[in-house]
Amino acid sequence: MPEGFPESLDSYPVRNLIIFLRRYFNFFLFLLLEVICLIFVFRNNNFQRTVYLNSANGVSGKLYTRYNDIQYYFHLKSTNDSLVSENLALRQQLATSFDVRDTTTRIVMDTLRKFTNDTARKLLSTEVRKFLYRDAKVINNSVNQTTNYITINRGSNDGIRPNMGVIGPNGMVGVVRTASPNYSVVISLLTKSNGSTSSFSFSSRLKNSGEIGTVYWDGYDAGYVTMKDVPRSAKLHKGDTVITSGFSAVFPENVNIGYIDTVYVGEKASTSFTIRLKLATNFYNLQYVYIIENLLRDEQVRLEDSTRKMLK
Amino acid sequence: MSILLRNIIRFILLILFQVLVLDRILVHQMVNPYLYMLFILLLPFNLPRPALQLLGLMLGLTLDMFSDSMGVHAAACVFIAYLRPFVLNILSPQGGFEGPQRTPSVTTMGVSQFAIYATVMVLLHHIAYFCLSVFSFSDPLYLLMKILLSTAASLFLILIYELLFFSRK
Repeated sequence: MPEGFPESLDSYPVRNLIIFLRRYFNFFLFLLLEVICLIFVFRNNNFQRTVYLNSANGVSGKLYTRYNDIQYYFHLKSTNDSLVSENLALRQQLATSFDVRDTTTRIVMDTLRKFTNDTARKLLSTEVRKFLYRDAKVINNSVNQTTNYITINRGSNDGIRPNMGVIGPNGMVGVVRTASPNYSVVISLLTKSNGSTSSFSFSSRLKNSGEIGTVYWDGYDAGYVTMKDVPRSAKLHKGDTVITSGFSAVFPENVNIGYIDTVYVGEKASTSFTIRLKLATNFYNLQYVYIIENLLRDEQVRLEDSTRKMLK
Repeated sequence: MSILLRNIIRFILLILFQVLVLDRILVHQMVNPYLYMLFILLLPFNLPRPALQLLGLMLGLTLDMFSDSMGVHAAACVFIAYLRPFVLNILSPQGGFEGPQRTPSVTTMGVSQFAIYATVMVLLHHIAYFCLSVFSFSDPLYLLMKILLSTAASLFLILIYELLFFSRK
């Protein structure tokens, strides 16, 4: 110790503090950095703020686009097959595919009214457009994480906003989480959850009998999801289709989710079935998706919120 | 090649390998191999501890950016970067590993020492990472299986790395 310094350190509490801090500097730095990381982890729930540090930003978006340009060719065959089968399904629904036997009626398709998005025409029409579809290319996709994300090449410049539904050629895919100007990140249906209402789960319906249940992913296999809370009265057959219920403002009705694989009864006293579903969407080679904008969503949400407020 | 340049190149290559190759390989739902933290394992012995932790943060955040797991990889990396000197201290012989510019490797530490070092570090990283990313202890078997199987896969990759870039110096 240099001369001029007092023997006892007790007279300098601040000095003691500094010595203490310097001695455990590494530990405090460790604590500080860990706290910063954990703040990032939990702030991520608040999506707008971290948009510049996820795969929707310029650097990773460009890298993933470049990578996808190459690996896309390896999936061309299966992508083409799924698009053709989707076209087939849509063609089956066309008005021209049906022959009207009743000679007194004639179906006239008014495509202008039904399909326009123009405000003036919307007023004239009796049917308003509720869902608007946009196409997007998947540029990054994971299936083996606990929470899986999909990056697509459409962003807020193309009208994508958080909480829009995403479906693929064969069925449901996920929900948009964040959108940067040119890219968006979608939370995939493959997000581990326990099926409670607060976690990531979807309202669904059996196509045949109409019973309602909740679909979620248990985190074990990217080809299967679980549907729970199906009443015991439901008649279930292997291969039956499960579709979206249309209760949420995110997805339209009748989007395929999966097909019944096995049926469990949780406990003996349980009043509901738990069903293992084979997913309709093949997440392993997802190439194209459609983003669904619900044009009436704001109205529905506002109404539901105000009703809830009234009850409080 | 200078040690700085070597580490910068290793950083970039490991991140690219992790993002473009490993994250896309599907072994099994329970097996997510990670190799990128090898960068922290192979930093020089004499690097000051604050620098070690900051490099860990940087590495973690870079990978987080690509895998949309904001902060999770960063937390795991800072964790092992903090614990690295302690692990090395326990494993080091009397007087420490010598030489000013030496880095941990099979040649400087010996096969068994390096194996223990890598196993402990990878296990610690995976425990931190999977606890944070799964973020529920309601299914402990799921968590445990993920940690152990992924650790085995990651260690296998480190073994291959060491065999590929083995130097007799």
